[in-house]
Amino acid sequence: MTEKMYTCIVCPKSCRIVLYDDGEKRSVTGNGCKRGESYALNEYANPMRMITTAVRVIGGKPGLLPVISTGEVPRDKLMACMAELYATVTSAPVKQGDVIVENVLGLNVDIIASRDIKKKEETV
Amino acid sequence: MKILKTDVAVIGGGPAGLAAALEASKLGAKAMILERDFELGGILQQCIHDGFGLLKFGRRMSGCQYAQFYIDAVGEEGVDVLTDTMVLEITPDKKVYAVNSTDGLVCVEARAVVLSMGCRERTRSQVFILGTRPAGVYTAGQVQRIINMEGYLPGKRAVILGSGDIGMIMARRMTLEGISVPGVYEVMPAPGGLTRNIVQCLNDYDIPLHLNHTVVQVHGKKRVEGVTVARVDERRKPVPGTEKRIDCDLLVLSVGLIPENELSRAIDIEMDPVTNGPVVGADMMTSVPGIFAAGNAVAVFDLVDYVSDTGERAARGAVRYIGDGTKTGGWLPVTAGENVLYVVPQKVRPGDEAVDLYLRVLRPMRDAAVTVRAGNDTLRQDRHAVVNPPEMVRVRLERAGDGGAGIRVDVIGEEVL
Amino acid sequence: MVDEFYMRLKGKERFADCDIRAEVKDGDILWLSGIAPKWENVVAAGHLAASVPGVRNVVNHMRALDHNPPEHDRTAVAETGRAIGVIERVDVLIIGAGITGCGAARQLAKYRQSILVVDKCNDIGEGNTKSNNGMVHSGYDSKHGTLKAKLNVEGNAKYDGWARELGFKFNRTGSFVAGFDESDRVHMEYFLENGTKNGVPGIEIISGERAREIAPYLSDEIRFALWTPSAGYVEPQEVTLALAENAIDNGVRLMLETEVAAIETGEPHRVVTNRGVIEAGTVINAAGARADEIAAMAGDEFFTIHPRRGTLVILDKSLKGRLIQFVGTTPANHTKGGGPTETPEGNPLWGPSAIEVPDKEDYAVDADDIEFIMEKGFKLTRGFKMSDVITYFSGIRASTYKEDFIIEASRKVERFIHVAGMQSPAVAAAPAVADLLEEIFRNMHPGIEQKEDYNPYRTPPKEFRYCTMEEREELIRQDPRHGHVVCRCETVTEAEIVNAIHGKVPARTMDAIKRRTRAGMGRCQSGFCCVRVLDILARELGLSPLEVTKNGTGSDLLYAPSRQPEEGEVRAK
Repeated sequence: MTEKMYTCIVCPKSCRIVLYDDGEKRSVTGNGCKRGESYALNEYANPMRMITTAVRVIGGKPGLLPVISTGEVPRDKLMACMAELYATVTSAPVKQGDVIVENVLGLNVDIIASRDIKKKEETV
Repeated sequence: MKILKTDVAVIGGGPAGLAAALEASKLGAKAMILERDFELGGILQQCIHDGFGLLKFGRRMSGCQYAQFYIDAVGEEGVDVLTDTMVLEITPDKKVYAVNSTDGLVCVEARAVVLSMGCRERTRSQVFILGTRPAGVYTAGQVQRIINMEGYLPGKRAVILGSGDIGMIMARRMTLEGISVPGVYEVMPAPGGLTRNIVQCLNDYDIPLHLNHTVVQVHGKKRVEGVTVARVDERRKPVPGTEKRIDCDLLVLSVGLIPENELSRAIDIEMDPVTNGPVVGADMMTSVPGIFAAGNAVAVFDLVDYVSDTGERAARGAVRYIGDGTKTGGWLPVTAGENVLYVVPQKVRPGDEAVDLYLRVLRPMRDAAVTVRAGNDTLRQDRHAVVNPPEMVRVRLERAGDGGAGIRVDVIGEEVL
Repeated sequence: MVDEFYMRLKGKERFADCDIRAEVKDGDILWLSGIAPKWENVVAAGHLAASVPGVRNVVNHMRALDHNPPEHDRTAVAETGRAIGVIERVDVLIIGAGITGCGAARQLAKYRQSILVVDKCNDIGEGNTKSNNGMVHSGYDSKHGTLKAKLNVEGNAKYDGWARELGFKFNRTGSFVAGFDESDRVHMEYFLENGTKNGVPGIEIISGERAREIAPYLSDEIRFALWTPSAGYVEPQEVTLALAENAIDNGVRLMLETEVAAIETGEPHRVVTNRGVIEAGTVINAAGARADEIAAMAGDEFFTIHPRRGTLVILDKSLKGRLIQFVGTTPANHTKGGGPTETPEGNPLWGPSAIEVPDKEDYAVDADDIEFIMEKGFKLTRGFKMSDVITYFSGIRASTYKEDFIIEASRKVERFIHVAGMQSPAVAAAPAVADLLEEIFRNMHPGIEQKEDYNPYRTPPKEFRYCTMEEREELIRQDPRHGHVVCRCETVTEAEIVNAIHGKVPARTMDAIKRRTRAGMGRCQSGFCCVRVLDILARELGLSPLEVTKNGTGSDLLYAPSRQPEEGEVRAK
């Protein structure tokens, strides 16, 4: 029997939920509502996370472009996505919403620019 | 000196100032933002993480995305913007003296002013961290700017003091950027930030959170070589014998924010010693007629959505003041009652409508009733499953009562021990 | 003397577990060696030795079982220096660029001599001048008959002249010693008598009411006070910079990050440094906390510096003007000195504390220091609170065991002058110290010629924050970068920072910029300006931001770039 503890983040109650998995069936206790149950089950089976990081932007001020994913990705793919974005370079100018990496790692989520970045000369 | 004229001079182009300038412009007033940084957006430009705009836009945005929305809107409205411009002084008759390298000294003659200068971070001396003064001691905001905008890592192994949101956000950010974080230390018995951040910034990355601990000493002559942490007792004093040395080359301080009000204090605006911001009315007007305040300069907010709301409110107040010279008297106090640390606004006028009160509780409670009364009349009562000091509570009143002794907010519930 | 010393040791509890050996060298220098359980015993033994009649000074080589001064092996540095060979030949070499060394340089620049000042740090005054509280004492405190007492009063009187010539801020504010009850009276009478003998002008004992008329923020508990109107304040780094710049204007050269590792005395002296060998006709030892080491290198060890650390606490500038005079207590109330005061810039400055430490670079601050300083301050004043504190730091007093200045030509080495033991009141005495050094130098070099074009005047740069609006406009007209305010708290402009970087004494680190311009000294303690100053330093010095330091080698501000652009680039868009 696997037991895992989760602190629910859906609402400020922050219920402490315990999830039980006997191999065939999964159940939870400690949740104050149905949303908490879904939260715990998802965190156990398939936790997802937003990606927010920064990508080098050549000739821009600032020199890093903050990016955000258009949806969540599986948590266990987060570090691989980060590594991919770590090595990604783009150049100014950039507009908010520009797709920087399409369908990152085939996860059906795009990485878009969070803001405009002008060319360095234009910001002086 | 260059003389510029505007209706509403907005000091600080962060979320509060942007919202104020946008609203003022939409209401038909001429607005001008004076911003000390090279671009608008304020602190949001270094907030590349998500969690912004859920209330205002129903979306999960990053801080800079939220800022971009307002920057675009303000651009479309034709609001005047002066960047790389430092305000040196404001006067009670609403002259704003500022300086930049293109225009030199500038005097903006405004009909109303909105103070939206945001906050500064508490420093190591203010929390009495002892030991040497080597390179490598930074506040969380400095580290955030260095990593997210300048593109540098300030160290390779960081101890974080303070479990407020910014401390936890940076724990995650540093880890993702390759800086190891042996732990987050928090002097209080409870975390200073949101649970979602504990889960997604600390637990996800196996970063331990040590409550009831503080950093007592920094080591290293030229550069940080380590820190000594210790457990604290109920009076937050280090317990002798519990000291432990941790090797690191970076100490990151997330130990509190202080509203930036040097300009306000210089003209003797009435200040609230609990919030460290000006005393404001429901329209965000300070004790000086025609001078309004919004956002973190008033009190430290957790949600940028609320900050924008206060900006809009200040703009509406400013525009009304310009139009009909809004009454500047007749205030009644808003009293912070049971379990309330502070409430803003601190004053209302009888008959004020659609008033938003923002409050922080002193102690966490379960199943709490947040009640606003005017005398014996209950104006509003909201129930909250949980109230926590790190989570500001908003109460929306239709009316602020009809007079008498003002209004009072109490929070009563089950104490969480 | 040795017998007298052992006699005084006998029966004293604190020396019970010590193994102390004493011998006299050179007629009147008492040398100590041996072991003690604690460092404080070592210091106590040194003080005891100094109190023996006839002892001119003490060399203390005792070791403690708990803490000892860190060893500095300079053999490798000396080898490197010797291998490089002679890099400079000068008439006068001054070792140490603190207020004392720079004062000497400026005074001797009057003469037709080539003068070089070296310092191991990367900025002037980065030893202990920077952590000094800047008080120009009136001189009631130093025991009559000591050199420091004489030079304190003389130096104090000369400060107006110095300030006028060199263009630094000097406030003659006066100072108090507070009396709370009759136990203070005796000490105060002693100060009055001692001060009067020393020649302190206007010294008197006044009532508490009169004291509060002068300074309303003094505590109501003060019943009477010793008042000396001649005490004043300077910003020590400002004075040091003014001295250095004026010296440079008059031909003096400065070499920083130059550490003396060995000295071969002779004609000329060969001073071996990390950068190479400097041949000097005359050497002036103004090396602060390391003056004893320099003396030893020259084969003239006759004193030992025992570092005494002091902490200073800075309060918010919004309290400017509240209490501009110094107020201290008598030994009845506190055995250590210090008390609240205010800098010329307007920050209340409380302290210092005093604690004997073995390490000359122990700049740590302990809880006890802060507690002592704040407790004392609250007792002496009213209307200040703990939350007014914006920062604190420590400095080291370069104290000899005789606790007096040593300003004299070496008795053993020709053309070698010591100016050592320069703890408080070294700042107050500085103008008189410079005069005395000049006199010693002239006696050493009779008939020495003066320059015709010596100019003792320096015009200070205009500080933007003190300018009127019209003056600011003029500054911006001359340099638009004055329109870009970088340090918000202290209103410091980009032009001021750039000028400091390229100044006569270049500021090449964050701390140097801070000391010259005040950027980073405000209430946010560089929270806003740190990143911007770093960028400006990198840009102006042609460095990568990774190379910018807080205060020299080893104090890097950044670790690495966060993105490695060269390898594995994946082009987007």
